[in-house]
Amino acid sequence: MEVKPEVEKKSKDWEPRILAFLCRWCSYAGADLTGSSRISYPPNVRILRVPCSGRVNPLFILKTLRAGMDGVLVSGCHPGDCHYTAGNYNARRKFAVLSRLLEYVGIDPRRVQFSWVSASEGDKFAKVVSELVAGVKALGPNELFRLNPSKQTAQGPQSPRQ
Amino acid sequence: MPEKIEEELLAIVSRLFDEGRIHHFLGYGKGTVKFKTTPLIARNREDLRGLWVEGFCATNLTLYLKEIKGQVGLLVKGCDSRSLVSLIKEGQVRREDLYVVGLPCPGQIDPVKVAEAAGCENEELEEITLRGSEVAVRVAGQEKILPKTLALLDKCLNCQYPKPLIFDCLLPGEYVAPVPEATPTEDVLRKKPVPEKWAFWAEQFKRCLRCYACRNVCPACFCPRCIVEENMPQWVSPLPTMGDNFVFHLMRLMHVTGTCTSCGECQRVCPMGIPLMKLNEKMTDDIGELFDFVGGVDPDKPFPFRTYRQEDPDKFIK
Repeated sequence: MEVKPEVEKKSKDWEPRILAFLCRWCSYAGADLTGSSRISYPPNVRILRVPCSGRVNPLFILKTLRAGMDGVLVSGCHPGDCHYTAGNYNARRKFAVLSRLLEYVGIDPRRVQFSWVSASEGDKFAKVVSELVAGVKALGPNELFRLNPSKQTAQGPQSPRQ
Repeated sequence: MPEKIEEELLAIVSRLFDEGRIHHFLGYGKGTVKFKTTPLIARNREDLRGLWVEGFCATNLTLYLKEIKGQVGLLVKGCDSRSLVSLIKEGQVRREDLYVVGLPCPGQIDPVKVAEAAGCENEELEEITLRGSEVAVRVAGQEKILPKTLALLDKCLNCQYPKPLIFDCLLPGEYVAPVPEATPTEDVLRKKPVPEKWAFWAEQFKRCLRCYACRNVCPACFCPRCIVEENMPQWVSPLPTMGDNFVFHLMRLMHVTGTCTSCGECQRVCPMGIPLMKLNEKMTDDIGELFDFVGGVDPDKPFPFRTYRQEDPDKFIK
């Protein structure tokens, strides 16, 4: 996964970039509903549609952070509503372990958010995204993998491969 | 102590070979490097001459099971037997193909720790011997006595399974924890604020060479092709940059969740001395707390990621 380097400044006009993995059956439709109901929410999320929250390999989340995205959202169907019966139950176990591990190695839990959003919860999707964006904004840009954070941010765009 | 064990072991293994019960025997052979043994794969009675059980048996021999076909006999310590339980549950080996010989373990010596405690370089150590509750070290002709806590591998200090969980026969000896009064060491890092945790781990991940020794030595890492070697698509860059090392280590941790039995081999073989067991212990504590699962103990309990309960904890999900 290549993420295009965008101009990032640590000034006021810095906007976080957030990757959202949305379940095709619930949250993706929920996000669609947010738009069609004309509920406004921060435009910082890039949405990636997945067949099920169970499809989200923990590796995807690690790679997203590694690639320099400032936040990650994983959203799927409410427990009991999975289109594939148990995909979200299995996902929930993986995310429970992963979120604790990420916290342990020093990645702020505010950067990685999990949520259940059904296809009828357009307002909840807007709320989840707004809260995530606010949390990430408070944390600042994801500079965890930059070799020399302060210096390179001042220089502006740079490759996430560094 | 070893003479009796050695005779007993030779008698057992020779009998197994004679009866045709096993095709191979996995044991420890005398190594070419001081304070290290080498895994010995014996194909017949003659090969058994190299067999060695005089300490320094830290290697978890269950690792080699995946490479040997047919009936195999092997030596296991209490901790190794947990890997065995895990591998049988995973369907990697069959119980009926194994003949498990339990080895009484007085605790395994960590030469790095000994050198540190004795205040000398690793190469200067001349002899290390276990004597009851103490460890005698000879440096430059002088003998020093160290307590076991300063000389054994960290995992041995918190040994909970000194007796193998599965075995066909046990060698004579005492199956007790090496340090009975020891309490589990607390990981102070867990209580620190998040940025300090990152400062610590970023430094560790920076040092990783990506030699993959941790993966190669891990009995729970048995994928025929590891995801780090996949190149269509390339999931993880092979470059040892801090960021890719972070992805590699956390991903490996997620892959061994449940199958990891805290045998500590990854940390023991790491040439850079990265404290990988801190990560593993955090993970094993978490799955114990979240799913009431302990790796390699209960042969009937399914792995945590192979099952679910409706009432699983989900407070972290919005």
